[in-house]
Amino acid sequence: MTSAEAAAHYFTKAARIMDVGERIETLLATPVREVKVQVSIELDNGEIRTFEGFRVQHDNSRGPMKGGLRYHPSVNNDEILGLASLMTWKTAIVNLPFGGAKGGVRVDPTQLSVKELERLTRKFIDQIHDLIGPTQDIPGPDMNTNPQVMAWVMDQYSRYHGHSPAVVTGKPIELYGSRGRETATARGLLYICREILRDVSLPMKGTRFAIQGFGNVGSHTARLFHEDGGLIVAVCDVHGGVQNPRGLDVPALFEHVKKTGSVRGFGGGNACTSEDVIAADCDVLVPAAIGGTIDRRAAASVRARIVLEGANGPSTPEADEEFEKRDVLVVPDILANAGGVTVSYFEWVQNMQHVSWEEERINNELQRVMKEAYEKVGQISRSRRLPLRTSAYVLAIGRVGKATVLRGI
Amino acid sequence: MAIAASLLKKLVQIPIFQGLTVPEASEFFELATELTAAKGKDLFVEGGAGDALLVILEGDVTITKRGIELAKLGKHSVLGEMSLVGSGEARSATATTLSEVVYLEVPAKRVQKLLKADHLGALKVFANLAQVLSKRLALINDKFVDSKGKKREELADFGKILNRWSF
Repeated sequence: MTSAEAAAHYFTKAARIMDVGERIETLLATPVREVKVQVSIELDNGEIRTFEGFRVQHDNSRGPMKGGLRYHPSVNNDEILGLASLMTWKTAIVNLPFGGAKGGVRVDPTQLSVKELERLTRKFIDQIHDLIGPTQDIPGPDMNTNPQVMAWVMDQYSRYHGHSPAVVTGKPIELYGSRGRETATARGLLYICREILRDVSLPMKGTRFAIQGFGNVGSHTARLFHEDGGLIVAVCDVHGGVQNPRGLDVPALFEHVKKTGSVRGFGGGNACTSEDVIAADCDVLVPAAIGGTIDRRAAASVRARIVLEGANGPSTPEADEEFEKRDVLVVPDILANAGGVTVSYFEWVQNMQHVSWEEERINNELQRVMKEAYEKVGQISRSRRLPLRTSAYVLAIGRVGKATVLRGI
Repeated sequence: MAIAASLLKKLVQIPIFQGLTVPEASEFFELATELTAAKGKDLFVEGGAGDALLVILEGDVTITKRGIELAKLGKHSVLGEMSLVGSGEARSATATTLSEVVYLEVPAKRVQKLLKADHLGALKVFANLAQVLSKRLALINDKFVDSKGKKREELADFGKILNRWSF
């Protein structure tokens, strides 16, 4: 099951619990618009290549649609559709005035030069510029796309519609990007983590964390949690892992990664595998790698009492059942990693108002948003005796549903 | 074609021919043809030219529009009455036989010619037709309002569910 399919599964589960009825379920699940376009470019060697580009706009009842743009050989309409709906629910949970969208090009970007990537991006925008826009649909970075790609998106869109920095988020700081964007997801995890630890009466200081994945989310999580007093007892990336029950020396680990490109071989602990990290003796497990890495068996090996999902869809629905059975508290992806899209929203707000916020303001606003979302989800969870994940989806359906009912169809 | 008086007496019982005397009905049906269609035949097809009124004498017919069944009609039902009103208007639905069907076909041109000549029978048929069509319009209006009301109810129900969950 892909993370998009898992999201659809959780949505259906929540919709059935709320008993919204089949036709309302269909109304909420069906996207507003699905677009597939041809993206043909000339390669550096003169050859012509044609790729397929997708943009799915899922729901706009709460505002302009927001969602990433990914470049990956496995991109297809179904996956993009599932991820677009996930964005609708995610933006609703953190109460941003946005709907959900997603897009991408089916391409292996590692096979393209920078110039070719630029041509690909510009051509894709040529094809969809009429459908996106600051008040319509705002793309952002996703798998294999970065601030440079977003800068091209902004530039190409602006050629048609005039200067429009708010058409895309995740731009470089020098080009209307927002401070705090790079660490946003990890910082969101930190703010949620503080709340949940307070709920279970654990102090941040001395709490043991195992982090699976050391990319943007995993590495910043390790640093921020360490700075906040947490003990990082195990980390891993695609090459390998390292653990130390007394806590890793995180600044030294960063130096090591800077030099070697991986956490593997770090001297401040014992070598371990990704499975070891999942099963590490710790209080909080933070899966921050790719989706679907924790299945039922891996879930059964988890010793942490809290799972904080930094990645999208790290636990399969079977793993989720296992966690529920074993009373492991799961903070679902859709809530836990919403810091990323929240700071994207801040970037859009700054662009719309032609202002620039200091990092302190970004962090304070982010903390407020994450805290409110966690409190609301927790409230539903307690009053209805539902897991946090189902409660999060219930909240999302509730907010999108209210907007839909108020606007009318 | 001369129609037997016994059949004419039955035909004038049909709402749109009500009030016609037997001689008036006889004149009205003077140019009608009695035809037989096998089971599964289309008597007319949606979009085709509407140039005749059909009266079923035996058998059953289904009326469909874009694949959706609108009605099933049997003995002494009248089909294609809308063709009398317009001038060669396209058929608004498809009529397909569900069994072997015997029916009378009255050319619309014949009826219009009678009308121009102020033929009392044809005028009576038109007065009846106006009543039939107005009843049908009222029914459609009800259905339209019903379907609108239902949609609003469904959204309203959803609104109530959301209120119960108190977000």
